[in-house]
Amino acid sequence: MYDIKALYEAESVEHAVQLRQEHPEAQILAGGSDVLVQIREGRRAGCEFISIYMLDELRGVSIDEEENIRIGSLTSFSHITKDPIIQKYINVLGEAVDMVGGPQIRAIGTIGGNTCNGVTSADSASTLMAWDAIIELTGANGVRRVPIKDFYIKAKVVDIKPDEIQTAILIPKASYENCFGHYIKYSMRNALDIATTGCSVNAVLSADKKSFERVRIGYGVAAPIPVRAYTAEEFIKGKEITEENIKKFAETVLEDINPRDSWRAGKALRRHISVVMAERALKECVELAGGEING
Amino acid sequence: MINLTINGKARSFDVDPTIRLRELLLKNGNFAVRDSDDAEGFCGSDTVIMDGIPVFSNLVLAGEADGSEIRTPDSLGNSVDLTIVQQALIDAGVVQSAYNSPAAALLFTWLFEKNPNPSREDVKDILSGLFIRDAGYEHYYLAAELIKEKLNGGEYKTEIAPEFRPELKSVGKVMPKIDAPQLVSGERAFVEDYVDADTCYMVVLRSPYASAYVSKIDTSKAEAIPGVVKVITAYNCPDVTYMSAGQGNPEPSPHDRKLLNKKVRHVGDRVAAVIAETLEDAIKARDLIEVEYEPMDAVFTVEEAMTEGAPLVHNGKVEYVSGAPDDLDDYNKKLSGDEREGKVVYQFPLQGDILHNVAAANHGGIGDVDKAFEEADAVVEATYQTSQIQHTPLETHICYSKLENGRLIVYASTQVPYHVRRIVSWVTGLSENKIHVIKTRVGGGYGSKQDILVEDLTAYATFATGRPVLYHNTREEEFIANSTRHPMRVHVKMGGKKDGTITGIYMKVDANTGPYGNHALTVPMNSCSKTLPLFKCDNMKYDLTIYYTNTPPAGAYQGYGTPKGTYGLMMAMGELADKLGVDYKDMVIKNHVEEGYMLEILKGLGEGREGNVVPVGSCGLREAVEKGCEMIEWGKREESDDPDWKIGKGFAMIMQGSGLPGLDHANAVAKLEMDGSIIVLSGAADIGTGLDTIIAKVTSDILQVPMDKITVVSGDTDSGAFDTGSYASSGTFFSGNAAVVAANNLKEKILDEAAFQLEEDVADMELVWPSEVRSTKTGASLSFYDIIHTATSGTGRGHLIAPGSFTTAASSVPYGAHFAQVAVNVRTGEIKVQKFYALQDAGTPINPEAALCQMYGASLKSIGHSLYEDMKLDKDGRCINANMTDYGVPMISEQPEDFKAVLIDVNDAHGPFGAKSISEIACNGAAPAIGNAIHDACGVWLRSWPMTPEKVLKALGKI
Repeated sequence: MYDIKALYEAESVEHAVQLRQEHPEAQILAGGSDVLVQIREGRRAGCEFISIYMLDELRGVSIDEEENIRIGSLTSFSHITKDPIIQKYINVLGEAVDMVGGPQIRAIGTIGGNTCNGVTSADSASTLMAWDAIIELTGANGVRRVPIKDFYIKAKVVDIKPDEIQTAILIPKASYENCFGHYIKYSMRNALDIATTGCSVNAVLSADKKSFERVRIGYGVAAPIPVRAYTAEEFIKGKEITEENIKKFAETVLEDINPRDSWRAGKALRRHISVVMAERALKECVELAGGEING
Repeated sequence: MINLTINGKARSFDVDPTIRLRELLLKNGNFAVRDSDDAEGFCGSDTVIMDGIPVFSNLVLAGEADGSEIRTPDSLGNSVDLTIVQQALIDAGVVQSAYNSPAAALLFTWLFEKNPNPSREDVKDILSGLFIRDAGYEHYYLAAELIKEKLNGGEYKTEIAPEFRPELKSVGKVMPKIDAPQLVSGERAFVEDYVDADTCYMVVLRSPYASAYVSKIDTSKAEAIPGVVKVITAYNCPDVTYMSAGQGNPEPSPHDRKLLNKKVRHVGDRVAAVIAETLEDAIKARDLIEVEYEPMDAVFTVEEAMTEGAPLVHNGKVEYVSGAPDDLDDYNKKLSGDEREGKVVYQFPLQGDILHNVAAANHGGIGDVDKAFEEADAVVEATYQTSQIQHTPLETHICYSKLENGRLIVYASTQVPYHVRRIVSWVTGLSENKIHVIKTRVGGGYGSKQDILVEDLTAYATFATGRPVLYHNTREEEFIANSTRHPMRVHVKMGGKKDGTITGIYMKVDANTGPYGNHALTVPMNSCSKTLPLFKCDNMKYDLTIYYTNTPPAGAYQGYGTPKGTYGLMMAMGELADKLGVDYKDMVIKNHVEEGYMLEILKGLGEGREGNVVPVGSCGLREAVEKGCEMIEWGKREESDDPDWKIGKGFAMIMQGSGLPGLDHANAVAKLEMDGSIIVLSGAADIGTGLDTIIAKVTSDILQVPMDKITVVSGDTDSGAFDTGSYASSGTFFSGNAAVVAANNLKEKILDEAAFQLEEDVADMELVWPSEVRSTKTGASLSFYDIIHTATSGTGRGHLIAPGSFTTAASSVPYGAHFAQVAVNVRTGEIKVQKFYALQDAGTPINPEAALCQMYGASLKSIGHSLYEDMKLDKDGRCINANMTDYGVPMISEQPEDFKAVLIDVNDAHGPFGAKSISEIACNGAAPAIGNAIHDACGVWLRSWPMTPEKVLKALGKI
């Protein structure tokens, strides 16, 4: 049924890079939960695979020397949700990936696979976007780091060179310090459904918790690739935490996002929901950060 | 080489590492690792534990699994040595059609090994990757409690279900469904488990067009592939016109299709069938068939179909087996008569008019509705639209057939073994004695297996080639080429007085039957015949028209047409109550029927014939309404902490039937075996609902024999006796009653034989538990063993065998009321079903725990129909969401947190031990209960399925 030509198993990152050079046509297989569903639909029939699933060195969450949170690309969704570092600094990511599938997918699906598919509806996408994640790629010439906003090129296309594999996702200290985030997945139902729209917001409040020092907001399914609403972020920067400012912030997101009509939901619904989610998620962030909405 | 440890045993396989892990496990004999979604990673039937974590074995390549430890569901326990987890699943009643019950047992086992005290959230999480369509999830929570209790103290403490009829030993008692041990442990049970190694495989080439002539087919390239055995097309198959509905003969459905047609009428229609020695060869050959199509314009909705001059779905000629109109020749002259069109043969007139795409129609009523509307204080009129919905059984349609000694053996997953035999006889020309249909266990039916959708072609393929042939639908084929719920446009006009009295009801139903007329009349009829008789109203009128279109086919679906009619009527009643300023409940109380009320409306609502006018029999409707209102605190307004969420309540009265009086027929044969145990041969088709158990229980109580001394052999056309099948809620009532008759006949024979052996008067004989006859006069007794031993000793009077046949004119109607409390977010449009209470009068619930699970299952399913499920067609009639993820079934996360099923205790005069049907009716209430609750919450009427956030926001003017 799968019509797979060949499966090459990488024994180390170096070996994986070597296999990439030897078999430029081959696709990378991490957990396989997305890729194997796609080839079943004929999208990748007759293909070759390089499996990196055995590379345990790409699993796990740690704080590296630069104080980045380092998430190995093969770290599973269920691992991320339960990981103490994630829970302490970027709990929202654990919550987001916990919305993926059932336990059978969460145990095998990987954060690397979720980003490398380049799918805008991926549950991790908007959160990683909103936290300015750095994608670490390893190739023949060593390690390359790409900001996630540059990693996504267009629908289902990401910036991985033919000799590279993704080895980690980094969240810089400047990004996660004092930052509180909230993710809302809006879908037609909960059961293993694809997000109609996903919105991830995070905020750093001023020392007196009266104003927003920095707010970032990322969307999945609002555009062909995950996007940020920079105009709204710029608007709210330094503003007081008030109902009015939050509302204005939410309305401003429409200047940056461009959802489309599809059979799942119309454009009007997606636009409306994007605004509602922005407001709700930001209010949630204020509460998580211990702030209060005045006026 | 791939090395695995499977269930503790080290194994090596010399296989291609790119095959799926599941395929490898099948090679190893672990066949209970099943596939329900063609490796989509949705249903969870393929779950195994790999290195301590649950995975979908279809989404792991064999090469990736190399070196790992695998645990499969068949490793847990077998049917005579069940584990605590397996036993608890059985005891809770969730092992019904059970296609993925072994996977559930494995997940539960894994969960409890890690944590013997899992929370409700833990249970929810573990089941979030398992699709359950039959029993819902509520009793899985119960099973988890039972497991905990067993692990902690050794005994169950939680009540599983209420019990009924204390004077009886088996009927009404909580006890294991008799096929459950086999099913939960993953033993051989389903069609796929009986396939021989030398089988050939069949695949079907399907039409890419919604309407086209197949003007030429070139199969030479396909036939040149060495493994190909035969390619069947419309140009080399028998010219037999029939239909796919498994209904009584003559069917109230037009015969309008052949095995393969020269005109294709929907995207997915059969064009050719390839039989080859391997599945790969069959698929390769299918792709090499060259077809010349002449595409034509198509119609997809009733609106398009009824337009003057619309393209005609059937444009050949019309014939009647009986009752042909006088002007038939003139009528046929107006049709194209193209030979490729085939013909439409009515067994008797159904008021069809294919010149206007009308497959069937019916009109009738009582009283004078126009006058009633004039006299009303308020009249409402609205149209309610339902969507096209698929059954999504976990086991997709499958058939395996082979020849044995000149007979055709057909392994079928069907609700109607005898109808399968008849139709296979038609297409092959073999007489029925030459055909042996074996219904295996059925992995989900819900009406879709009342249609003969794959057995005709598979059996014919074996007949034509002499080879064993396996055919198995893909999940996509389930959507595009099976049967679905008829989309219907239900227009209701209803008038009422200020005091809440309904003066008149008019229903105009336009139904879409798709390209073929299987169940064309009868499904839409149910939208009136199982709804209007809820009302004590003297003025009622209905106009039904059923249109042919080029959508994927429609057919029978649990509830039949009733959910759609109930949606229209109960929503309209809500709108009328609102307009009159009358409380909805008061209006229900004022207008619902009660025992003894003469149902004149039924006269015109037979299955294409005159219906029986009967009074309302046993009826628990009022009690269901009162109790439900109490439970949900009717009239009390609920407020949410979040002002965006508005909360509302709604409910709906519901009814169904218990089989078709005057049409259905069931038989059984009860035999006293040589050691005094009992075997019942039954024509019944248990599709996982517990029908075999019902037959065993009634036999147990009549013959005073314990359950473990009774075996039921059913669903086998060789060993059973004729039964119309499991549909129209007939199982318990008809097949159960046939067993009652057979057991009573055997009882008479046993008493007579005992009297003979004791040389006493038969009037003094009585049965005594367990398996004994005692003389009330002398106190002498004989065990069943003694009796049969003497009778079959060579000098005795012979084996004791008793047949039982059941037909009736009586109609036992189950009633009920379903209640919903919903929260609607007026900013996001989201709809949450917070509470759902299903209250039903099932007469005497023979299997109470199974009954509750069926109520939960049908309720959850119909919550799905109301809120999520919808087959979407593009402009060319292609279904664009023909997979599980996109289609939208509800799973555990959609189940209302507060979900209750309540059995109203009413004894019925005609049912076996007072039993009525239980499962179908439970599909009828959700849509109108939720629709009325949404209105109560936020003031908008959502008049089409699915009721989505988008529709809420549009109705509220937010988008």
